[in-house]
Amino acid sequence: MKSEILYPGAFPMVRVYLNEGETVKAESGAMVAASPTIDIESKMEGGFLGALSRKMLSGEKFFFQTLRASRGAGEVLLAPTVPGEIVLLDLDGVNEYMVQKDGFLAGTEGVKIESKMQSLTRGLLGGEGFFILRIGGTGRLILNSFGAIHKIELKPNEEYIVDNSHLVAWTSTTTYNIEKASSGWIASLTSGEGLVCRFRGPGVVYIQSRNPGSFGNWIRQFIPVSE
Amino acid sequence: MTSIPNALCFGDGLPGAGAPCHVTVSADGLIMVPVGTSPLVEAAIAFTAMSVEAGGLDHDQLVVSWGVGASVRTLYLKDPALILAFRHAAPSVLMAHLERAAEQVRRVRHSHRALWGSAVGVVVGLGLLLWFGADLIVEWAVARIPVEWEQKLGETVYQDFLSKEPVIKEGPAVSAVQEMTQRMAAKIPNNPYTFQVSVVQSPVVNAFALPGGYVVVFTGLMKKAESGEEVAGVLSHELNHVLQRHGMERIVKMMGLAAVVSILVGDQQGLIGLARQLGLELATLKFGREQETEADVTGIRLLSDARIAPDGMIRFFERLSEKDKERVELFSSHPMSAARAERLKAELAALPKQTPEPFTFEWKGVQDSLGVSEAKK
Ligand SMILES: [Zn+2]
Repeated sequence: MKSEILYPGAFPMVRVYLNEGETVKAESGAMVAASPTIDIESKMEGGFLGALSRKMLSGEKFFFQTLRASRGAGEVLLAPTVPGEIVLLDLDGVNEYMVQKDGFLAGTEGVKIESKMQSLTRGLLGGEGFFILRIGGTGRLILNSFGAIHKIELKPNEEYIVDNSHLVAWTSTTTYNIEKASSGWIASLTSGEGLVCRFRGPGVVYIQSRNPGSFGNWIRQFIPVSE
Repeated sequence: MTSIPNALCFGDGLPGAGAPCHVTVSADGLIMVPVGTSPLVEAAIAFTAMSVEAGGLDHDQLVVSWGVGASVRTLYLKDPALILAFRHAAPSVLMAHLERAAEQVRRVRHSHRALWGSAVGVVVGLGLLLWFGADLIVEWAVARIPVEWEQKLGETVYQDFLSKEPVIKEGPAVSAVQEMTQRMAAKIPNNPYTFQVSVVQSPVVNAFALPGGYVVVFTGLMKKAESGEEVAGVLSHELNHVLQRHGMERIVKMMGLAAVVSILVGDQQGLIGLARQLGLELATLKFGREQETEADVTGIRLLSDARIAPDGMIRFFERLSEKDKERVELFSSHPMSAARAERLKAELAALPKQTPEPFTFEWKGVQDSLGVSEAKK
């Protein structure tokens, strides 16, 4: 299994080569094109059939596709929905990343993904969502961002503060606290706006150079209001 | 020649994400061997030269540091077996320090909790109870949520979801699920919900309902079903989750304290904001076994009341349990479905016999409108 980034920059794609029988797990809708030897298996946890499942508390991502080279070797082209960079990370079984939900693009075979419920205070305060993905195992993890991806390396005990809507991923050796609730208790609790994360190393934090929420608000002013 | 790392080493000149290495415990310390090409050099670290503490995101990693100035190195160990071996081999002085650190962590957590306590007063008690799963409080809180809130909440997530998925707007498939839903809705006395059903183009064989009565059926399920009655069975089950407010119960349970506070202070926006963060996870909420049984039983009664042949639901369960044996991957294994089918048969036998009325559509035609079956492979 090999993978590479095509057209690095704002509008990249990833090419993943699969040998016969190999699979790659991708965010649903990420597949742009594939060789005819590739089959798509879609899956959704929960819902009517999820309830029939034995593992009542499994934590797979809500929607993803498994692309399998079932009829011979082939390649798959994957791209994120939003304009922004892609980063490839190699997992060796010991490193582990916490990934904000929209940051996951794909993972090769051997990459383990579980969604992790945030601890009460962290989760409710963090705008990155109630669930984050905890990704480990071995293989290649492919992340995407909105805008450029910037990597922050932290030495042991070194701290850094990040606006939490700019978060993409961070290593599990890095701890963090959410700080500064700007406007009222419930308001910031529920919107997650105006909150920052104080990270403490060692480890790496990946951030995105654009804020999807702010961009959405900016766009909204140009959309005529019907009614 | 070790190739599988079990620890990460941090320090000047090493990669920011840590240098992978293999650590073993010896009688008087640790032996660290770098894995792969690495600026790290093999080292033996004596227990007497190191300090230890708990670290990492969940405070479940053992952090070992040694050296001074620019040569300080910090190891993060996560493997429980390795940490256990370390605990056994390390002198008690070193471990005493770790225990102190662990105590400190507990104290910090405790003081955080105290802070919350002063902020929300007596509600913390309720929250903690919730946290430990007091179903009574969940029911109490859910009973206090107005249906309009529930609808707004469900609709928010529903619209978010539909805006990202290819929705089939009209045609035989849409008319079919609407007919099924209307026939059932007409038989629900004092129904506070207006059900909305959408058909989404996807090979996923599934369907789900959001609180407030918003239902999504995937074309994958419609292609798999052999009759309209089978789909109606799934819908009936899902509608009953809505009617019994199972989703709200799960949400309140998951969001715990904050949800109860929002409900208590009448903060509708707050509750919706919280639910929005849950987003699509709302649809993946796993209901409890009791809730599933309840939805099954009330589901088959509703089918019977609406004069929709209720054996469709049973047949669908049975077929799924057969399929499961061969298609483990797609559905995960669920020995439950066979048992559920049995239970439903017993329930059906106890119901008064009704003469089923067929639907106005022809199921084959509905399926044909969905195009070539991609789910068959
Ligand atoms: Zn159910």
